[in-house]
Parts: sequence; C-alpha cells; structure tokens
Amino acid sequence: RENFCSSITAEPAMIDVGRSCILVSIGGKNIMLDCGMHMGFNDDRRFPDFSYITQNGRLTEFLDCVIISHFHLDHCGALPYMSEMVGYDGPIYMTHPTKAICPILLEDFRKITVDKKGETNFFTSQMIKDCMKKVVPLNLHQTVQVDEELEIKAYYAGHVLGAAMVQIKVGSESVVYTGDYNMTPDRHLGAAWIDKCRPDLLISESTYATTIRDSKRCRERDFLKKVHETVERGGKVLIPVFALGRAQELCILLETFWERMNLKAPIYFSTGMTEKANHYYKLFITWTNQKIRKTFVQRNMFEFKHIKPFDRSYADNPGPMVVFATPGMLHAGQSLQIFKKWAGNEKNMVIMPGYCVQGTIGHKILNGQRKLELEGRSTVEKFFYLKSLYLEVKLQVEYMSFSAHADAKGIMQLIRMAEPRNMLLVHGEAVKMEFLKGKIEQEFNCYMPANGETTTVTTNPNVPVDISLNLLKREMSLGGTLPDPKKPRTMHGTLIMKENSLRLVSPEQAMKELGLSEHHLRFTCRVQLQDPHSDADTLHRIYMHLKSVLKGYTTQHLPDSMSVMVESIVVKVSSSTEDPNTKVLLLSWSYQDEDLGSFLSTLLKKGLPSVLC
Amino acid sequence: GGAKGNGPTLASAAGSLLETWPTSASSLSSDGYKDLYVYQLDHPTRVLEWTSGKTICVAGFGPDRNEILELHLPPKLFADENKGLCAERDFKVVHGGFSDGPVHRLRHIQGTRCVVTNNGRSSSLQVWDVGDDESDVFRRTSSIEGAAPLAGQAAGERGSQVAAGPSPQPCVLHGALLGHVQLSQLASGDTCYTLETDSSEPLSALQFVSPWVFLACCRNGNLFAVDTRSPSLPPPTPVPPPPEASTDPVHWGMHATAGADVAGCRVARLSSGAEVVVSDLRNPGGPARRALLEVPADGSAGDHLRVSWAPALEDCLAVSGFDGGVQVFSVSTWGPEAREQRALFQHRGHSVLPSERSAPVRTTAHAWHPDRPRTLLSAATDGSVHVWDWVHPGAAQD
Repeated sequence: RENFCSSITAEPAMIDVGRSCILVSIGGKNIMLDCGMHMGFNDDRRFPDFSYITQNGRLTEFLDCVIISHFHLDHCGALPYMSEMVGYDGPIYMTHPTKAICPILLEDFRKITVDKKGETNFFTSQMIKDCMKKVVPLNLHQTVQVDEELEIKAYYAGHVLGAAMVQIKVGSESVVYTGDYNMTPDRHLGAAWIDKCRPDLLISESTYATTIRDSKRCRERDFLKKVHETVERGGKVLIPVFALGRAQELCILLETFWERMNLKAPIYFSTGMTEKANHYYKLFITWTNQKIRKTFVQRNMFEFKHIKPFDRSYADNPGPMVVFATPGMLHAGQSLQIFKKWAGNEKNMVIMPGYCVQGTIGHKILNGQRKLELEGRSTVEKFFYLKSLYLEVKLQVEYMSFSAHADAKGIMQLIRMAEPRNMLLVHGEAVKMEFLKGKIEQEFNCYMPANGETTTVTTNPNVPVDISLNLLKREMSLGGTLPDPKKPRTMHGTLIMKENSLRLVSPEQAMKELGLSEHHLRFTCRVQLQDPHSDADTLHRIYMHLKSVLKGYTTQHLPDSMSVMVESIVVKVSSSTEDPNTKVLLLSWSYQDEDLGSFLSTLLKKGLPSVLC
Repeated sequence: GGAKGNGPTLASAAGSLLETWPTSASSLSSDGYKDLYVYQLDHPTRVLEWTSGKTICVAGFGPDRNEILELHLPPKLFADENKGLCAERDFKVVHGGFSDGPVHRLRHIQGTRCVVTNNGRSSSLQVWDVGDDESDVFRRTSSIEGAAPLAGQAAGERGSQVAAGPSPQPCVLHGALLGHVQLSQLASGDTCYTLETDSSEPLSALQFVSPWVFLACCRNGNLFAVDTRSPSLPPPTPVPPPPEASTDPVHWGMHATAGADVAGCRVARLSSGAEVVVSDLRNPGGPARRALLEVPADGSAGDHLRVSWAPALEDCLAVSGFDGGVQVFSVSTWGPEAREQRALFQHRGHSVLPSERSAPVRTTAHAWHPDRPRTLLSAATDGSVHVWDWVHPGAAQD
C-alpha cells in the first residue's frame, strides 16, 4: 500500500536449458519457482547456484516460499539438495500428485547416481524424506494464504500427472508461472487452463516455442508399425516404462490395434505396475474432476482382453510377444533383466518412450552403444568361467517421444486466456527468439532476459478513488470536450485520505469537512512613475495602456476609487507627497493571479508610453 | 470385441485412428508410406519453397498481416542409418517474418539467403533477407516494381509470376502478362532484360531451364521458349485441341524438368480440365504425350493447380489442387492420344483427416524433395502440411 509505483523482479539466474529455477521478488516477497537439476552435468553444475542468495543470509529468511510445478527432475531434482544440504525450512508448495510421485523419482535418481555411478556429494534417502516433510500440498483453483499478504493458486497444466501452473499474488500485483504445460489434450491428460486473471507478468517456458509438432496420429502410427513389424517376424518387443503416464496410453493403443487386426501374439505388463498405477490414478481422478475433459473414468485400469500380467518365466518363451516393464530407463529391475535376455537377438526390439538419465543403460543404447559392460559379475567369475564381459546389443533400438509441451501456437493460446500485462519467455536460447517475441509483441509487451539477468517489470497498480458528484458537475460545466475514456483530462480537486479511503472533492467541501478555514493570499507592490499629469489623467493613461496590452481581459476604469482593475488585480494611483510629478502606483493581486500580477508590475515599471490613443 | 472396462470415448478414439487413413489397408506395413508426418500450421499456405535440402518456406495468404516461416524438416526424416535413435519428428521454425499482405508466390534465389514474394494483387515484388545464425527474423530489404497493370487486366491476373533467374548474378524473372516479362537484378532492382512483345496474354508460369533460356506459359496454354540473347519473341507451342469439344474454358499451368541440357528438357502442361500435355523442347511442336487424369475435375480448381516433375525419379509427375489430394503419375506409358490415366499413387491425407473446417479441403501446393526420390511435401486450405515418403505399389516396403 505504501508502494504506488512498484516493481516485480524476476531473476532466472539459475535457469539454463535443461534446468528450471526462477527467483521472483514481488511486493517485498521472495518466491522460488521450481528447483531443478541439470541432467547433463555430473558435477556441481547440475545444481543451481544459491550463493547468489546465501551470500546475504540464509535461504529460510530470504524466501517466503518455494513452489514446484511438477515431478520432472529438471524442475524438482535439486529440491532435497536445496532444503537439506544448503538449508531451507520454509514451506514448499506442490500439488498432491506431485508430492506423491516426486520422492519416488528422486529416490530412483539418487540410486542411479550414488549406487551406479559412485558419486558422493549427493543427497541421501533420509534427506529426501526430510525434504518432503516440508511440503504443503495444493489443490487446483484453491487460494492458499502463505502469509497475510502473499497468496498462491494452482491451475491445471496438462503435460504430466499433477503438473500445475501457479498464480502468485501480493496485493494487487500478480505473477503467473507456467512450469511445463501443454495446450492440446491427449488420451490421459487434459489441456492446460487458466482464467482471465490478467497477471502483471506471465512467465512461460518456451523450449518448444519454435517447433511445430508432428501429429499424435503419426507418432502412434510409427509406434504401432514398429511393434507390428517386430511381432510379424517372430521377434519380441520390450517397452521399458515408468509406472504411470505413457504406459496406460500405449497399452490402450495396442489393445485396440490387436483387436482390430486380430493379432495373436501375447502382450504383458510387469508386476508392480498395476498396483502403483491404480493407486496413483485414484489420486489423478480426484484431481481431474475439476475443469478437465473427461477422457476416461476407470475403476480398474487394467482389465484388458489382450494384455496380461507378466511372469518372469515368460521371458524365455519362444515366439513373438510384447512386454511393458518397469523401470523406464533400464537401469535396474525387471526391465533390465528382460533386456539382458533379449538383447542378443536382432529380431527383437526395445522401444524407449522417454528421456534416459546419463549413466543408465537406456541412455547408452540411445546413444548408439552396441556393446555394454555388464555389472555385478565378479572378476573370479569372469576369469574362471569366461563369462562374457560384455552384452552385445543386436536388437533394434527405437527412441520415440510422446511427451507434450506447448509450441508457439500453445503459448499464444495461453496468453489469450490469461491476458498478462507483460510476458517473460524462459528456457530457450535468447538469440533465436526474436520472431516469437515479435509475434507476441503485436499483442503484448514481452521481456526476454538472458541467463543471469534480472528483469524489472514496472507495474501500474490501480488506485481507486471516489470522486464527489459536485466536483464532476463543476468540471462538466467548465465546458470543453466531452469526457473520453481514451483521453484523460486534467482536473482540479482536493484528495482526502482518511482511514483506507481516497476521495476527490472540491476544495470548499474539503475545507468544510476538515473544519479548515480558507485563507486568501494577496500580494502588494509599489511602482514609482514619473508622470507630469494629474492623478486622474495618469489613471486614465494607465487604463488605456493596460486595455491595449491585455487584449483578452476586461480592464475596468474606476475613477471614484482612483484605481484600475483587471481580474483580481487592483492598480491604485496616488502622488508622492514631496513631488506631484512622481506617481505612486499601488498594485495588489490575489494568489490566483500571481502570473498576471507580476507581469503587470514589470510592465508598469517600464513606464507609460508617451503616445496613447 | 473391444477392451472391457475402457470408457467408450477412449477406445473409440483409439479405434478411429485405425479406421481412417492411412491404416485402412489390412496391415500397417503396407499402408503405402515409408515415412509420414502431419503438421498443422496456424494459417494455410499456398507456397512450399525449398531454401536448402532441409529447409522450406511457407507463408500465409490472408488479406492482412501474414507470417512467413522458414521451417527445418524433422531430423528423423534424414536420419537414414540411425533412424531408430532419432526421436525428433517436429518442424523447427528457424526463421520467421511478417508480411503486410498475402503471399501468393515465394521464390528462393539460389546462392543467396534471399526470397522474393508477390501478393497476387499487383506486379511488385518484395525482396526478403531470410536471416542467418544471429537472428531468426526475416527482413524486408527492398521492392522491385513490375509493369503497371493494363486497363482491362482482371484483378485475379494482376499478380506476377516469379522465377529465380540464372546464376551467377542474383536476379529474378517476373511479370503478370507476357508483354510485361522482365529480368531484374536482386540487389539494385535494375532491369537487365525485357521480353520484346506487346502481348497482353496473362501468364501462368515462368521458369529458367538454362542460363539463357526461359519458358513462359500463358493461361491459354501457349508455351514460349525464349532465348534472352535474341531480341524477338519466338513462335509459341500451343496446346493441342481438347479431345472432346468442351465449352468450359480451361486454363493451363506448366513445369519443366530441371537440368543443364535444354535439349533434354521436357515440359508438362496441366489444364484445369485435368489434361496433361508433355512436350520435348528438342521438338516442341512434335508428337507429345497426352493424358486425361483420373482426378475430380469439376472446374472449380481455381488457381491452386500445381504440376511438377519429380527431380530424382524418372518420368514421374505430381499433380495437386483438384481436390484434397496429391496424385503421382508415371508418364512412361503415355502415348500421343489423350487417354484416361490412373495415378500411380494418391495421397489423400488432407481430405480424409478430421478438420475443423466445414468446407471441403483442397491442396494448395506440393513440392518434391530435391534429391530424396519419393519424399514430398503437401499443403492444404485447412492449414495442414504433410511430409510423406510413398512406396511404389508392389514394391516391398523397407
């Protein structure tokens, strides 16, 4: 309230392609948006650099809250590091599904990094648990009061289960952060939605802003074609999946295709997948009851005709089959076991439906590696039994991307929904975004900071003021053009600030209300003139002179009071007692006519012209 | 049949994928395509112009402000050995710009990063710098004025045809009427050649076939092979009279095979009545190959009709604009009589896929890839753009 010209600062200091972590300062509050891990680095560069903040104090004091948009590691992967290793004890907000799924992904990732790659400077399982204790879950469209001034609200973002876009509000200023979102619905998630909340700033990811996406139809065709070709030649297809998300979509797709084409090869899903999926989809369903297209409502997701639960002995069965198995990056467990059995046969295929973290077998085969070193075999085994040191990868490797992000069209749609005053595009390469900036700028203001740059957005908060009817009427009677919403008109009045209200009234009313008396200010000034005429003649000469100079004014000649008057200015003539040719002019005027008064005094000091008509 | 427990919307959504194109065939493996990519632009384009082996320009033709985009084709299309490891199926907008009016024609000038556009309403050309690595924005650098329109010239015939001039000097051949054809230098806009004729015949195509010779095809089908070294206009090669007496007026378009040898150049002319005449430049008046294409030709084709030779496939022509499809024909079996000929391959995707528009979809442009034999791009009135690699019927699919 004290700040009538305020600003929002957004500091994507820790943002990079591959990681999200934005610091926003709004109305005196500091909020961290996402806390991602950079998946491409193996050293400390994978974590955001918090020293920017911590050099001035502790994170807990500085930050009012942390908000996590969804469970992908490039948005939440550094959260336990930040809260437990750097130190933060304040609230961490995220949606219910994110809270449920985040720790699983973090633990998986921790295992790969520490156990498989042998790294040391990393968070522990206990740290993940302690971090999650600080989480406050959010419901969609529910306003949460973080403190007296700061409120937040989550909106549906699509993209993955539990992903949210967040509105942050302090007083009359607001920022909306999108995280990753998607504007086209798919088989198990709806499209992002937000109301016309008109934030001062909309922060949107724009990695895919310069792409035009190939249709879902063609991606699915490619998937079905690959599976079909493999099965037709008697091969086996392994599809490593994370328990939720794409697995359900792909299962449904295959089921329908098998039915349509009357195919006989068996399809399996691995044990453990169903319980997890059902459990999380129950969360998902309560979460999606609001404002999302109902693509499906299921009790049991896995009542399929053609898809059956897997048993590990089936992997050795001859003939074609398709198996969905966890975990998704082939780094451990059942999917890896099956992979080892099937990798040596070129008739087989493995389809990777998503990104694989460095260090996993999934990542290696997607980079074209055809010989993998096998872990867990002792040197004794290797030496004495001459067991193969390597696994030859002869099967066909297919990488397919089904993930959903907003493209340029999607960004424009979101902007039209929310109607932000300013726009911030992050996550892309700044140099190549001029075209998109131009496209958006046709409709909106658009800022694009580089990595490490601070952006200050000046907001014009609305200050509501009541105006008295009398004042309005008075203004109208002054004439001039009619009021026009597009053309502001200057007017005069007195602003009274009482308690929390602001009112604009006429000066007289203000004084009356406040019990003040009006004072008038009059100036006086003496001018001496040499004029060899009588006082009356001098007066007349002054009158003529002023009349000719002040064309727009009404000059009055008042011989009875020996004065000339124009507006509130009075010029009184008298002669000096010593010398009748020395005239003394007494000028006086009120404050309103200050300008005219001083003009006249200067004018008269120059003397009267000798010839007057 | 159908999975139990699945809600009706989900299963039927999956089912509808399989019931419609392209998997109406009994097996996915032989649905006719090796590669297939389907995109949706915000606004339809009627230009598809290569700016390199991997990038193409599209542009809107709405009445006011339009976008021009240079798109990079999906990496997966080109990843021949490691196709499986490449998941990238999206177009990437590498450069973009804004045009104040519709873009009816767009030509890339070889050896430069420039394109030339015409709005279909006037004879002036806009010259654009597509942009380099530093910037992703098209910049309008200059305009080249064409000839003023004649008094009786129809509004729909005021737009200039545009052809890239022969290298090395970047120049552009343009004109709306035969008598207005000129060759202008790109940088200065100066005219370095004009065709000496008073003819007010409206043009439908211009194309250089060698450093000195260009072809001008008029809407009435008359074809001129002009040598820029000699001043006068040569006699035309008219189209043969139609096989049946027809009262409907037809207009003709043209495309010639590229290549350094003018003598070996073949020209295909396509009429709005779905007739094709293939002439040999060695013997332009001599026996041509003719065909009546089996395509819907109700006369409503307008000016979206396109014909083009496959650059890397012998004797193959693609035709589009009659309906929502692109048809590929082989001319090797055609003779001098205009007999009905069936397409070797039909791409139906634009009309079969569900569209938001209620009006029937029509293809607006197509383009063969310069060196991949069977890769084509096609665009339609609903804003869709397809990239497809078709399989010769009867051949084993890779």
